[in-house]
Amino acid sequence: MFGFRQFFSRRRRYTDLSVSIQEHLEEKIEELMEEGMSREQAASTARRAFGNATLFEEHSREVWQLPLLEHIFADLRFAWRQAIKLPRFTFAAIATLAIGIAAQSTIYSVVHAVLIDPYPYRGAMRMVHLHLYDKDPVPDDLGLTGPQFAEFQKSPVLDGAIAEDMYSRALTGEDLPEQVQAFRISPNAFEYLGVPALLGREFGRSDNTHVAVLSYHFWKSHYDGRRDIVGRTLEMDHEVFTIVGVLPQRFAWTGADLYTPLAYSADPHRVANVFARLKPGVSDPAAEQAIEPLLDAFARQTPGNFPQKFKVHLVHINELAIGRFRGALIILFISVSFLLALACVNVAILLLARGEARQTEIALRKALGAGRLRVIGQLLTESLVLSRVGGGCGVMLALGGIWLVRHFILPTLFPAEAEIALNVPVLLFSIGVSVATGVISGLWPALRVSRIDARQAADAGSHKLAGRKGTRNGHMALLAGQAAITVLLLASSGATVQRLSRLMHADLGYDPHHLLSVSLAVREGAHHAWSDRIAYYEQIRTAIEADPDVLSAAIAEGNLPPTNVGSTSLSIPGMNTTGREVQFQRVSPEYLATLRIPLLHGRVWSAPEIAHAAHLALINQAMQRRYWPHGDPIGQTIVLNHGVAAGNVWTLVAPGNDQHFLIIGVVGDTPNQSLQEQVAPAVYVPYTGIIYDWFNLLLRTRGAATAGLLHRIKERVHAIDAGQAVGDIVTAEDLLEEDLGRDRFIASLFTAFAFLALTFAVSGLYCIQSFLVTQRTRELGVRIALGARREHIIGLVTRTSVLAVLMGTGIGLALDVALSKIFSHWTSGNSRDPEMLAVVVALLLIAAALASIVPARLAASIEPMEALRAE
Amino acid sequence: MTKNPDHRDLFPGALEMMILHSLRLKPMHGYALVKHIKQVSEDLLQIEEGSLYPALQRMLKEGWLDSKEGISAKGRPTRIYRLTNAGRRHLEQEISSFEKMFAGITRVLAVPKA
Repeated sequence: MFGFRQFFSRRRRYTDLSVSIQEHLEEKIEELMEEGMSREQAASTARRAFGNATLFEEHSREVWQLPLLEHIFADLRFAWRQAIKLPRFTFAAIATLAIGIAAQSTIYSVVHAVLIDPYPYRGAMRMVHLHLYDKDPVPDDLGLTGPQFAEFQKSPVLDGAIAEDMYSRALTGEDLPEQVQAFRISPNAFEYLGVPALLGREFGRSDNTHVAVLSYHFWKSHYDGRRDIVGRTLEMDHEVFTIVGVLPQRFAWTGADLYTPLAYSADPHRVANVFARLKPGVSDPAAEQAIEPLLDAFARQTPGNFPQKFKVHLVHINELAIGRFRGALIILFISVSFLLALACVNVAILLLARGEARQTEIALRKALGAGRLRVIGQLLTESLVLSRVGGGCGVMLALGGIWLVRHFILPTLFPAEAEIALNVPVLLFSIGVSVATGVISGLWPALRVSRIDARQAADAGSHKLAGRKGTRNGHMALLAGQAAITVLLLASSGATVQRLSRLMHADLGYDPHHLLSVSLAVREGAHHAWSDRIAYYEQIRTAIEADPDVLSAAIAEGNLPPTNVGSTSLSIPGMNTTGREVQFQRVSPEYLATLRIPLLHGRVWSAPEIAHAAHLALINQAMQRRYWPHGDPIGQTIVLNHGVAAGNVWTLVAPGNDQHFLIIGVVGDTPNQSLQEQVAPAVYVPYTGIIYDWFNLLLRTRGAATAGLLHRIKERVHAIDAGQAVGDIVTAEDLLEEDLGRDRFIASLFTAFAFLALTFAVSGLYCIQSFLVTQRTRELGVRIALGARREHIIGLVTRTSVLAVLMGTGIGLALDVALSKIFSHWTSGNSRDPEMLAVVVALLLIAAALASIVPARLAASIEPMEALRAE
Repeated sequence: MTKNPDHRDLFPGALEMMILHSLRLKPMHGYALVKHIKQVSEDLLQIEEGSLYPALQRMLKEGWLDSKEGISAKGRPTRIYRLTNAGRRHLEQEISSFEKMFAGITRVLAVPKA
């Protein structure tokens, strides 16, 4: 019997097969020869009867293979060899894809984290602040008493409300008291916000008022993130609180250091700020309409806590945090989408150019019997390998980009809760877009060639004579598109950089070097008599001014410029000033000397005038320009409706306080609404008129601010009142930097995008030029042989690209001018400044010229004989 | 390759069936198998000789055949194919299903024209 083996190795199978086929043909030939044919005749008859032996053998072998897998491996090997063979092409394609993907994902991640989903709180997008407006442009936050809050919560348009009493307190029980933001929040607040504690627990309705929950940053900074902190106690203003929990990092509600339960009382003078969340589906106007009658009723109960004739306006928490920055982020996002489009165009150009160059190879494969699907499969594999590697590098770059944003962007730019992390859906989207581009452009040549039959394929080389017009038009359109986008991005970058540099070199009107401030808050209920509080503040000021490192110290309500100190409505007897506002700062007389703001006319208050809260005001130049452009403001009377007339537990009012002020001097302008805005008319009045339970101490120091200085300040304050805490040092330069942060962020991103765009455009141009020259080598050789001059050749190969770039530049400029209004609205930059645009166009054209030089020189140096032989 | 309009393509599985049936008689090498089929069918079937080999490999893979080294009629090394038990069972199934199909077609064609 046969001793058959069950399993043969595949190689053995192949040998068996070849032997069988060989023997088959031999036997047939011999038989035919026996019938009288010659060997040649017999061999050809036998082969004809057998059919395509190679193909049959191939098909037979395939029976033993996992065909798809083997093809893929073969294609991968081939793709790898192709990649190695053309390292510049491979690098360009992968780098372009990676940069496009990374830029898009990073910026979108920021947009997502900051605009779309910044808050960890439940229903955050429905959370609102309730602003009460009267004539005063600066709104009051809604403040309610305990019973009012209980009633307010029941409103049918609301999905819960919380009350909060923000307060700076002194952390005592350590050697020097430390100022902490200890906010009292209604016991339902944690349930309302819906964010679980990181450690321990949050407090609820059943807790007493002497428990505290720490914020993450305070836990880290004050307790070094020790986990055994839960259950311990801390002391504030000599009251003991038990720490019951620590909040997660993203919980930064109103930026407190720690939270304690708010014990609401029925006392009509004890109000707390109220925040609410709307029910899903309730629109803002509907909610405002529903709440208004309720608030009107409350205002009748406690008129002192409400402005007169107010309107309520809901402001979503994200609007407060982001404001005008939203537009800039959206513009950045659109720009970066352009960048991704540009990257895709570039990859398309690269792949199409290479595909064209490979027409002969593909035609040859077809002629040798490769199926259409097989050719497509191979090109698909190559495109996918490039796209995947590009995508992989893109992910890494995007992670790097996120790291950069997290480490180099001022945290104050974004809501404290925003956690910037790589947004996976967007990453996948941008990878998807670029992979699709890669695949489509990679497959294009295959789809085109696979329609060509074998005879045409054999002639594929003849394309090299003229270049195909359709392809060339396609390339030129892509090139023009690239130039247009590049012009747009360069112009945006130019506009933002110009603006940033103008802001940085603006004349400030004060000297920010070695200028700083610290804030102090009086213990609740302490120094509650007006004259006592003034004496206390002055005592602290003089004690600190006595420090050898402090040149001068001033008291102010608002912080250093360019902080917006708030405004109040203004009227001037004899002038129509309806609806006019003026910036309003309460200061001590040392203010001008400390900030080095020049006194231009008139005089400053004397010490007795301050002590008696005299109704004398200083104004800035902007105010003089607006109201007395030709006259003398000194001696004029102004009326300031600066709110609180009666005072309350926290705010003490000087005896005989009224709204009329006599102007005694004019001082220089300082930015008072941020550097981005023009200086607004401003009034300075003695801080003693209305005195709050906190103040800023502004210090001009001999050297830079140090921890040692802060410690000495704390010691001097401690010597006056052992329970008085001092806040952290804020320098004037920090404030300026913070104010410029957004502009710096926008300008640096636009600039990065613009240069990436320029790089893409230049590499695209270079690719097309080189490709055109390679493709037309034979034609150019013929022309040179026939006597064409080198300049003519250079003109010939660059003409269409030059035209495309010029057209693209024109389109870009037109778009830029058309869009400049939107752009300046959102970023405050001028994107149509002619000088800047001239620089942009020059930059693009120089870069384009440089990119064309190498291929053009190559074309001009073609040796006719070599060109004709080259094939 | 132009096709003779008098001949039609085999239906799927027909070549396999004929190979299995032929090998039931005795184990054969490739060329002998072709010659056998051509002789028996009196050249009515148009078969590209090479198409035998992919079919043989498929059947080897299915386990209907096995093969061993052998010597051809001319004394040269070749591979000889033999039917296995699985192949025999498969052939019987195929024949019975083929007969059913053939009977069905015949019956339909036997209905007289109206």
